[in-house]
Amino acid sequence: MKQKMHIVAVAAFVILVIITFIVMGQGHTTQRLQSGFLGMISPFLRQGSSLDRKYTEMKAGLKSLKQLEEDNKRLTVESKELSATNQTLRDMEAENNKLRNALGYRERSVFKLVPARIIARDPSTWYQTVKIDRGSAEGVKSDMPVLTEEGLVGKTTVVSDHASVVILISDENCGVSANIEGSREQGIVRGERLANRGLPAIGLGLLSKEANLTSGQKVYSSGVGGVFPSGVLIGAVREFKVRELQGYASLVPAVDLSTIDDVFVVISGSK
Amino acid sequence: MIFFAVLLLSMFVSVIVQHFIGPLPYIQARVLLMPIIMFYGALALPVYGMLALTFFGGLMWDALNTQYATDGAVEISAGWSIVLFASLGAIMSGFRPLFLRGRWEIHCLLTGVCTSVLVLAEYLMITIRRQPVHFVFNDEVWWRIAGAGLAAAFLSPLVFFIFNYLAALTGYDPQPQRAELKH
Repeated sequence: MKQKMHIVAVAAFVILVIITFIVMGQGHTTQRLQSGFLGMISPFLRQGSSLDRKYTEMKAGLKSLKQLEEDNKRLTVESKELSATNQTLRDMEAENNKLRNALGYRERSVFKLVPARIIARDPSTWYQTVKIDRGSAEGVKSDMPVLTEEGLVGKTTVVSDHASVVILISDENCGVSANIEGSREQGIVRGERLANRGLPAIGLGLLSKEANLTSGQKVYSSGVGGVFPSGVLIGAVREFKVRELQGYASLVPAVDLSTIDDVFVVISGSK
Repeated sequence: MIFFAVLLLSMFVSVIVQHFIGPLPYIQARVLLMPIIMFYGALALPVYGMLALTFFGGLMWDALNTQYATDGAVEISAGWSIVLFASLGAIMSGFRPLFLRGRWEIHCLLTGVCTSVLVLAEYLMITIRRQPVHFVFNDEVWWRIAGAGLAAAFLSPLVFFIFNYLAALTGYDPQPQRAELKH
Protein backbone atom coordinates (compact mmCIF):
# COMPACT_ATOMS: atom_id res chain seq x y z
CA MET A 1 0.00 0.00 0.00
CA LYS A 2 2.83 2.36 0.99
CA GLN A 3 4.76 1.47 -2.15
CA LYS A 4 1.68 2.13 -4.29
CA MET A 5 1.31 5.55 -2.70
CA HIS A 6 4.94 6.34 -3.48
CA ILE A 7 4.48 5.36 -7.11
CA VAL A 8 1.36 7.54 -7.39
CA ALA A 9 3.22 10.47 -5.77
CA VAL A 10 6.20 10.15 -8.10
CA ALA A 11 3.94 9.82 -11.15
CA ALA A 12 1.93 12.91 -10.12
CA PHE A 13 5.19 14.80 -9.54
CA VAL A 14 6.57 13.86 -12.97
CA ILE A 15 3.33 14.96 -14.65
CA LEU A 16 3.41 18.27 -12.75
CA VAL A 17 7.03 18.88 -13.76
CA ILE A 18 6.26 18.14 -17.43
CA ILE A 19 3.32 20.55 -17.30
CA THR A 20 5.59 23.17 -15.70
CA PHE A 21 8.16 22.74 -18.48
CA ILE A 22 5.48 23.07 -21.17
CA VAL A 23 3.86 26.13 -19.58
CA MET A 24 7.10 27.84 -18.54
CA GLY A 25 8.79 27.09 -21.86
CA GLN A 26 7.17 30.22 -23.17
CA GLY A 27 9.09 33.28 -22.04
CA HIS A 28 6.06 35.40 -21.23
CA THR A 29 4.63 32.80 -18.80
CA THR A 30 7.91 32.73 -16.88
CA GLN A 31 7.95 36.51 -16.85
CA ARG A 32 4.39 36.55 -15.47
CA LEU A 33 5.38 34.05 -12.76
CA GLN A 34 8.42 36.15 -11.84
CA SER A 35 6.44 39.37 -11.90
CA GLY A 36 3.75 37.84 -9.66
CA PHE A 37 6.32 36.46 -7.23
CA LEU A 38 8.18 39.77 -7.15
CA GLY A 39 4.90 41.53 -6.40
CA MET A 40 4.32 39.08 -3.56
CA ILE A 41 7.71 39.54 -1.89
CA SER A 42 8.26 43.24 -2.64
CA PRO A 43 6.30 44.59 0.39
CA PHE A 44 8.50 42.47 2.66
CA LEU A 45 11.64 43.55 0.83
CA ARG A 46 10.62 47.21 1.25
CA GLN A 47 10.07 46.76 4.96
CA GLY A 48 13.31 44.84 5.33
CA SER A 49 15.24 47.46 3.38
CA SER A 50 13.74 50.26 5.45
CA LEU A 51 14.69 48.47 8.69
CA ASP A 52 18.18 47.84 7.34
CA ARG A 53 18.59 51.54 6.52
CA LYS A 54 17.32 52.62 9.90
CA TYR A 55 19.79 50.30 11.56
CA THR A 56 22.67 51.61 9.42
CA GLU A 57 21.68 55.22 10.14
CA MET A 58 21.47 54.48 13.84
CA LYS A 59 24.90 52.90 13.73
CA ALA A 60 26.32 55.91 11.89
CA GLY A 61 25.06 58.12 14.71
CA LEU A 62 22.80 61.14 14.72
CA LYS A 63 24.09 64.39 13.28
CA SER A 64 24.19 67.49 15.41
CA LEU A 65 21.89 70.42 14.70
CA LYS A 66 24.84 72.51 13.57
CA GLN A 67 25.93 69.82 11.12
CA LEU A 68 22.39 69.60 9.75
CA GLU A 69 22.26 73.37 9.30
CA GLU A 70 25.54 73.33 7.39
CA ASP A 71 24.36 70.45 5.22
CA ASN A 72 21.13 72.29 4.51
CA LYS A 73 22.97 75.46 3.45
CA ARG A 74 25.35 73.52 1.21
CA LEU A 75 22.54 71.52 -0.39
CA THR A 76 20.43 74.65 -1.04
CA VAL A 77 23.34 76.28 -2.88
CA GLU A 78 24.04 73.06 -4.78
CA SER A 79 20.37 72.73 -5.73
CA LYS A 80 20.29 76.31 -7.10
CA GLU A 81 23.44 75.70 -9.09
CA LEU A 82 22.05 72.49 -10.54
CA SER A 83 18.74 74.15 -11.44
CA ALA A 84 20.63 76.88 -13.31
CA THR A 85 22.81 74.31 -15.12
CA ASN A 86 19.76 72.24 -15.94
CA GLN A 87 18.00 75.26 -17.46
CA THR A 88 21.06 76.07 -19.60
CA LEU A 89 21.26 72.47 -20.76
CA ARG A 90 17.57 72.47 -21.68
CA ASP A 91 18.08 75.61 -23.78
CA MET A 92 21.04 73.99 -25.47
CA GLU A 93 19.04 70.83 -26.06
CA ALA A 94 16.23 72.81 -27.68
CA GLU A 95 18.78 74.59 -29.88
CA ASN A 96 20.46 71.29 -30.71
CA ASN A 97 17.12 69.75 -31.68
CA LYS A 98 16.33 72.73 -33.91
CA LEU A 99 19.64 72.29 -35.70
CA ARG A 100 19.19 68.52 -35.94
CA ASN A 101 15.74 69.13 -37.36
CA ALA A 102 17.18 71.53 -39.91
CA LEU A 103 19.65 68.83 -40.94
CA GLY A 104 16.86 66.26 -41.14
CA TYR A 105 18.08 64.25 -38.12
CA ARG A 106 15.74 62.63 -35.62
CA GLU A 107 15.10 64.82 -32.57
CA ARG A 108 16.76 63.82 -29.34
CA SER A 109 14.09 63.45 -26.69
CA VAL A 110 14.46 64.64 -23.13
CA PHE A 111 15.12 61.94 -20.54
CA LYS A 112 12.29 61.44 -18.10
CA LEU A 113 13.73 59.93 -14.96
CA VAL A 114 12.00 58.11 -12.16
CA PRO A 115 14.04 58.03 -8.94
CA ALA A 116 14.18 54.61 -7.32
CA ARG A 117 15.71 53.07 -4.26
CA ILE A 118 17.43 49.70 -4.17
CA ILE A 119 15.48 47.50 -1.79
CA ALA A 120 17.42 44.27 -2.20
CA ARG A 121 20.49 42.82 -3.80
CA ASP A 122 20.57 39.53 -5.62
CA PRO A 123 20.64 36.55 -3.26
CA SER A 124 21.95 34.11 -5.88
CA THR A 125 25.55 33.10 -6.46
CA TRP A 126 25.99 33.64 -10.17
CA TYR A 127 23.77 36.58 -11.11
CA GLN A 128 24.23 40.31 -10.70
CA THR A 129 20.88 41.97 -10.15
CA VAL A 130 19.21 44.34 -7.71
CA LYS A 131 15.58 45.02 -6.89
CA ILE A 132 14.20 48.57 -6.91
CA ASP A 133 11.06 50.02 -5.36
CA ARG A 134 9.50 51.28 -8.61
CA GLY A 135 7.31 49.24 -10.95
CA SER A 136 4.68 49.43 -13.65
CA ALA A 137 2.48 51.69 -11.48
CA GLU A 138 5.22 54.33 -11.72
CA GLY A 139 5.65 53.86 -15.48
CA VAL A 140 8.53 51.38 -15.40
CA LYS A 141 8.58 48.70 -18.10
CA SER A 142 11.07 45.98 -18.88
CA ASP A 143 14.23 46.90 -20.83
CA MET A 144 14.42 50.45 -19.50
CA PRO A 145 17.87 51.87 -18.75
CA VAL A 146 18.84 52.50 -15.14
CA LEU A 147 21.54 55.01 -14.23
CA THR A 148 22.89 57.32 -11.58
CA GLU A 149 24.45 60.76 -11.89
CA GLU A 150 27.80 58.96 -12.18
CA GLY A 151 26.94 56.62 -15.04
CA LEU A 152 25.13 53.53 -16.29
CA VAL A 153 23.86 50.91 -13.85
CA GLY A 154 21.88 48.42 -15.95
CA LYS A 155 18.39 47.81 -17.29
CA THR A 156 15.08 46.61 -15.92
CA THR A 157 13.96 43.04 -16.61
CA VAL A 158 11.08 41.74 -14.51
CA VAL A 159 8.57 44.41 -13.52
CA SER A 160 5.76 44.10 -10.99
CA ASP A 161 3.35 46.80 -9.81
CA HIS A 162 5.66 48.45 -7.31
CA ALA A 163 9.03 46.76 -7.76
CA SER A 164 11.38 45.80 -10.55
CA VAL A 165 14.47 43.71 -11.08
CA VAL A 166 17.46 45.52 -12.56
CA ILE A 167 20.13 43.47 -14.27
CA LEU A 168 23.44 45.21 -13.66
CA ILE A 169 25.99 45.93 -16.38
CA SER A 170 28.30 43.64 -14.44
CA ASP A 171 26.10 40.64 -15.34
CA GLU A 172 27.16 38.57 -18.31
CA ASN A 173 23.63 38.78 -19.74
CA CYS A 174 23.62 42.58 -19.95
CA GLY A 175 25.32 43.80 -23.13
CA VAL A 176 25.75 47.51 -23.91
CA SER A 177 27.11 48.78 -27.21
CA ALA A 178 29.76 51.34 -26.47
CA ASN A 179 32.29 53.71 -27.94
CA ILE A 180 35.52 55.01 -26.52
CA GLU A 181 36.59 58.55 -25.86
CA GLY A 182 39.20 59.69 -28.37
CA SER A 183 38.83 56.58 -30.54
CA ARG A 184 36.64 55.40 -33.40
CA GLU A 185 36.49 51.90 -31.95
CA GLN A 186 33.14 50.43 -30.96
CA GLY A 187 32.49 47.35 -28.89
CA ILE A 188 30.14 45.62 -26.48
CA VAL A 189 30.42 46.06 -22.74
CA ARG A 190 29.49 42.93 -20.82
CA GLY A 191 29.81 41.78 -17.25
CA GLU A 192 32.37 39.19 -16.34
CA ARG A 193 30.89 36.10 -14.72
CA LEU A 194 33.41 36.02 -11.94
CA ALA A 195 33.64 39.29 -10.15
CA ASN A 196 37.05 40.61 -9.29
CA ARG A 197 37.36 39.54 -5.62
CA GLY A 198 33.70 40.28 -5.09
CA LEU A 199 33.77 43.59 -6.92
CA PRO A 200 31.58 43.77 -10.02
CA ALA A 201 33.72 43.52 -13.14
CA ILE A 202 32.97 44.58 -16.70
CA GLY A 203 34.84 44.28 -19.97
CA LEU A 204 34.67 45.75 -23.45
CA GLY A 205 34.87 43.14 -26.20
CA LEU A 206 34.60 42.94 -29.99
CA LEU A 207 37.31 45.58 -30.46
CA SER A 208 39.85 45.41 -33.24
CA LYS A 209 43.25 44.04 -32.29
CA GLU A 210 44.77 47.38 -33.22
CA ALA A 211 42.52 49.36 -30.87
CA ASN A 212 45.42 49.91 -28.47
CA LEU A 213 43.38 51.59 -25.76
CA THR A 214 45.15 53.21 -22.88
CA SER A 215 44.31 53.01 -19.22
CA GLY A 216 41.86 55.70 -18.11
CA GLN A 217 40.12 56.23 -21.48
CA LYS A 218 36.42 56.72 -20.86
CA VAL A 219 33.78 54.41 -22.34
CA TYR A 220 30.29 55.69 -23.19
CA SER A 221 27.12 53.97 -24.38
CA SER A 222 26.70 54.40 -28.14
CA GLY A 223 22.92 54.12 -28.26
CA VAL A 224 23.07 51.29 -30.83
CA GLY A 225 20.52 48.62 -30.01
CA GLY A 226 17.88 51.01 -28.78
CA VAL A 227 17.78 50.08 -25.08
CA PHE A 228 20.44 52.41 -23.68
CA PRO A 229 20.64 56.11 -24.53
CA SER A 230 23.86 57.30 -26.12
CA GLY A 231 26.51 59.23 -24.26
CA VAL A 232 26.06 57.71 -20.80
CA LEU A 233 29.35 56.99 -19.06
CA ILE A 234 29.90 53.28 -18.47
CA GLY A 235 33.42 53.23 -17.10
CA ALA A 236 37.09 53.71 -17.86
CA VAL A 237 39.63 51.38 -19.43
CA ARG A 238 41.73 49.52 -16.88
CA GLU A 239 43.75 47.32 -19.21
CA PHE A 240 43.75 46.46 -22.91
CA LYS A 241 44.62 42.96 -24.10
CA VAL A 242 44.85 41.42 -27.55
CA ARG A 243 43.07 38.07 -27.68
CA GLU A 244 43.08 35.45 -30.41
CA LEU A 245 40.30 37.02 -32.46
CA GLN A 246 39.67 40.42 -30.93
CA GLY A 247 40.87 43.21 -28.70
CA TYR A 248 39.46 43.21 -25.17
CA ALA A 249 39.58 45.87 -22.48
CA SER A 250 38.75 45.33 -18.84
CA LEU A 251 36.94 48.35 -17.43
CA VAL A 252 36.48 50.07 -14.09
CA PRO A 253 32.72 50.75 -13.79
CA ALA A 254 31.82 54.43 -13.43
CA VAL A 255 29.30 53.54 -10.74
CA ASP A 256 30.28 51.53 -7.70
CA LEU A 257 27.72 48.81 -8.31
CA SER A 258 28.28 47.09 -4.99
CA THR A 259 27.32 50.08 -2.84
CA ILE A 260 24.74 52.13 -4.77
CA ASP A 261 21.48 52.81 -2.97
CA ASP A 262 19.61 55.21 -5.24
CA VAL A 263 19.18 55.07 -9.00
CA PHE A 264 17.09 56.60 -11.79
CA VAL A 265 15.03 54.68 -14.33
CA VAL A 266 14.88 56.36 -17.74
CA ILE A 267 11.22 55.97 -18.59
CA SER A 268 11.25 58.06 -21.77
CA GLY A 269 13.71 59.44 -24.23
CA SER A 270 15.75 56.30 -24.05
CA LYS A 271 15.23 55.20 -27.62
CA MET B 1 -0.26 18.80 6.96
CA ILE B 2 0.19 21.69 9.38
CA PHE B 3 3.91 21.00 9.58
CA PHE B 4 4.10 20.88 5.77
CA ALA B 5 2.47 24.33 5.67
CA VAL B 6 4.94 25.56 8.30
CA LEU B 7 7.85 24.31 6.19
CA LEU B 8 6.43 25.91 3.04
CA LEU B 9 5.88 29.23 4.78
CA SER B 10 9.37 29.09 6.27
CA MET B 11 10.83 28.49 2.81
CA PHE B 12 8.99 31.56 1.53
CA VAL B 13 10.23 33.66 4.45
CA SER B 14 13.80 32.39 4.01
CA VAL B 15 13.73 33.43 0.35
CA ILE B 16 13.02 36.99 1.53
CA VAL B 17 15.57 36.88 4.36
CA GLN B 18 18.26 35.65 1.94
CA HIS B 19 18.08 39.03 0.19
CA PHE B 20 19.43 40.74 3.29
CA ILE B 21 22.31 38.36 3.93
CA GLY B 22 25.33 39.57 2.04
CA PRO B 23 27.93 37.26 0.55
CA LEU B 24 30.47 35.76 2.93
CA PRO B 25 33.55 37.97 3.20
CA TYR B 26 36.62 36.99 1.12
CA ILE B 27 35.06 33.92 -0.51
CA GLN B 28 31.89 35.65 -1.81
CA ALA B 29 29.77 32.53 -1.26
CA ARG B 30 26.08 33.03 -0.45
CA VAL B 31 24.22 31.75 2.56
CA LEU B 32 21.34 29.78 1.07
CA LEU B 33 18.70 29.32 3.76
CA MET B 34 15.85 28.02 1.66
CA PRO B 35 17.61 24.81 0.50
CA ILE B 36 18.53 23.97 4.12
CA ILE B 37 14.85 24.07 5.12
CA MET B 38 13.88 22.11 2.02
CA PHE B 39 16.48 19.42 2.73
CA TYR B 40 15.23 19.22 6.32
CA GLY B 41 11.73 18.75 4.89
CA ALA B 42 13.06 15.93 2.67
CA LEU B 43 14.19 14.15 5.85
CA ALA B 44 11.22 14.92 8.04
CA LEU B 45 8.43 14.25 5.55
CA PRO B 46 7.51 11.08 3.65
CA VAL B 47 8.30 10.87 -0.08
CA TYR B 48 5.11 12.59 -1.27
CA GLY B 49 5.69 15.47 1.17
CA MET B 50 9.29 15.78 -0.01
CA LEU B 51 8.18 15.89 -3.65
CA ALA B 52 5.55 18.54 -2.96
CA LEU B 53 8.07 20.62 -1.03
CA THR B 54 10.72 20.39 -3.76
CA PHE B 55 8.12 21.30 -6.37
CA PHE B 56 7.13 24.53 -4.62
CA GLY B 57 10.74 25.21 -3.63
CA GLY B 58 11.95 24.83 -7.21
CA LEU B 59 9.15 27.03 -8.49
CA MET B 60 10.04 29.77 -5.98
CA TRP B 61 13.74 29.45 -6.85
CA ASP B 62 13.01 29.84 -10.55
CA ALA B 63 10.60 32.71 -9.97
CA LEU B 64 13.48 34.45 -8.23
CA ASN B 65 16.42 33.51 -10.40
CA THR B 66 15.45 32.78 -13.99
CA GLN B 67 17.14 35.19 -16.35
CA TYR B 68 16.66 36.20 -19.92
CA ALA B 69 19.32 35.92 -22.59
CA THR B 70 20.07 38.89 -24.83
CA ASP B 71 17.54 37.66 -27.40
CA GLY B 72 14.80 37.80 -24.75
CA ALA B 73 14.41 34.03 -24.47
CA VAL B 74 14.50 32.37 -21.05
CA GLU B 75 18.08 31.42 -20.32
CA ILE B 76 17.39 28.32 -18.24
CA SER B 77 13.80 27.19 -18.44
CA ALA B 78 11.81 27.45 -15.23
CA GLY B 79 11.31 23.89 -14.01
CA TRP B 80 14.94 22.78 -13.98
CA SER B 81 15.32 23.82 -10.35
CA ILE B 82 12.36 21.56 -9.48
CA VAL B 83 14.15 18.61 -11.10
CA LEU B 84 17.39 19.53 -9.35
CA PHE B 85 15.74 20.02 -5.95
CA ALA B 86 13.79 16.77 -6.30
CA SER B 87 16.93 14.83 -7.22
CA LEU B 88 18.82 16.20 -4.21
CA GLY B 89 15.72 15.78 -2.03
CA ALA B 90 15.55 12.13 -3.10
CA ILE B 91 19.17 11.62 -1.98
CA MET B 92 18.33 13.18 1.39
CA SER B 93 15.21 11.07 1.60
CA GLY B 94 17.39 7.97 1.14
CA PHE B 95 19.02 8.82 4.48
CA ARG B 96 15.63 9.24 6.17
CA PRO B 97 15.58 5.87 7.98
CA LEU B 98 18.62 6.97 9.99
CA PHE B 99 17.03 10.37 10.68
CA LEU B 100 13.84 8.68 11.89
CA ARG B 101 15.94 6.85 14.45
CA GLY B 102 17.07 10.16 15.92
CA ARG B 103 20.40 10.69 14.18
CA TRP B 104 21.09 14.02 12.45
CA GLU B 105 24.89 14.48 12.25
CA ILE B 106 25.43 12.89 8.86
CA HIS B 107 22.34 14.67 7.53
CA CYS B 108 23.79 18.06 8.42
CA LEU B 109 26.94 17.23 6.48
CA LEU B 110 24.82 15.94 3.62
CA THR B 111 22.84 19.21 3.62
CA GLY B 112 26.15 21.02 3.06
CA VAL B 113 27.14 18.66 0.25
CA CYS B 114 23.73 18.94 -1.44
CA THR B 115 23.82 22.76 -1.21
CA SER B 116 27.24 22.77 -2.88
CA VAL B 117 25.97 20.41 -5.58
CA LEU B 118 23.03 22.77 -6.14
CA VAL B 119 25.34 25.77 -6.64
CA LEU B 120 27.65 23.71 -8.87
CA ALA B 121 24.72 22.50 -10.98
CA GLU B 122 23.54 26.10 -11.43
CA TYR B 123 27.03 27.09 -12.53
CA LEU B 124 27.22 24.24 -15.03
CA MET B 125 23.78 25.04 -16.44
CA ILE B 126 24.70 28.70 -16.92
CA THR B 127 28.02 27.80 -18.50
CA ILE B 128 26.48 25.35 -20.94
CA ARG B 129 23.68 27.74 -21.86
CA ARG B 130 25.88 30.77 -22.46
CA GLN B 131 27.82 30.78 -25.72
CA PRO B 132 30.69 30.27 -26.21
CA VAL B 133 30.86 27.47 -23.63
CA HIS B 134 33.79 28.35 -21.45
CA PHE B 135 34.38 26.38 -18.26
CA VAL B 136 36.26 28.36 -15.66
CA PHE B 137 37.12 26.48 -12.50
CA ASN B 138 39.45 28.68 -10.55
CA ASP B 139 39.75 29.19 -6.79
CA GLU B 140 36.98 31.79 -6.77
CA VAL B 141 34.47 29.41 -8.36
CA TRP B 142 35.38 26.56 -6.04
CA TRP B 143 35.16 28.78 -2.96
CA ARG B 144 31.73 30.03 -3.96
CA ILE B 145 30.54 26.45 -4.42
CA ALA B 146 32.21 25.04 -1.33
CA GLY B 147 31.48 28.15 0.77
CA ALA B 148 27.72 27.83 0.22
CA GLY B 149 27.95 24.19 1.32
CA LEU B 150 30.06 24.96 4.37
CA ALA B 151 27.64 27.72 5.45
CA ALA B 152 24.74 25.29 5.02
CA ALA B 153 26.51 22.54 6.97
CA PHE B 154 27.26 24.95 9.84
CA LEU B 155 23.73 26.36 9.94
CA SER B 156 21.84 23.10 9.49
CA PRO B 157 22.09 21.82 13.11
CA LEU B 158 20.40 25.03 14.27
CA VAL B 159 17.78 24.83 11.51
CA PHE B 160 17.14 21.13 12.28
CA PHE B 161 16.76 21.94 15.98
CA ILE B 162 14.31 24.82 15.33
CA PHE B 163 12.18 22.73 12.98
CA ASN B 164 12.17 19.72 15.27
CA TYR B 165 10.81 22.09 17.92
CA LEU B 166 8.23 23.55 15.52
CA ALA B 167 7.23 20.02 14.51
CA ALA B 168 6.60 19.16 18.16
CA LEU B 169 4.47 22.30 18.49
CA THR B 170 2.35 21.25 15.53
CA GLY B 171 1.98 17.72 16.85
CA TYR B 172 4.19 16.09 14.21
CA ASP B 173 7.02 13.78 15.17
CA PRO B 174 9.77 13.86 12.52
CA GLN B 175 11.88 11.24 14.36
CA PRO B 176 9.38 8.70 15.70
CA GLN B 177 11.94 5.91 16.16
CA ARG B 178 14.22 8.07 18.34
CA ALA B 179 13.27 6.10 21.43
CA GLU B 180 14.41 2.81 19.81
CA LEU B 181 17.92 4.22 19.39
CA LYS B 182 18.09 5.18 23.05
CA HIS B 183 17.22 1.65 24.13
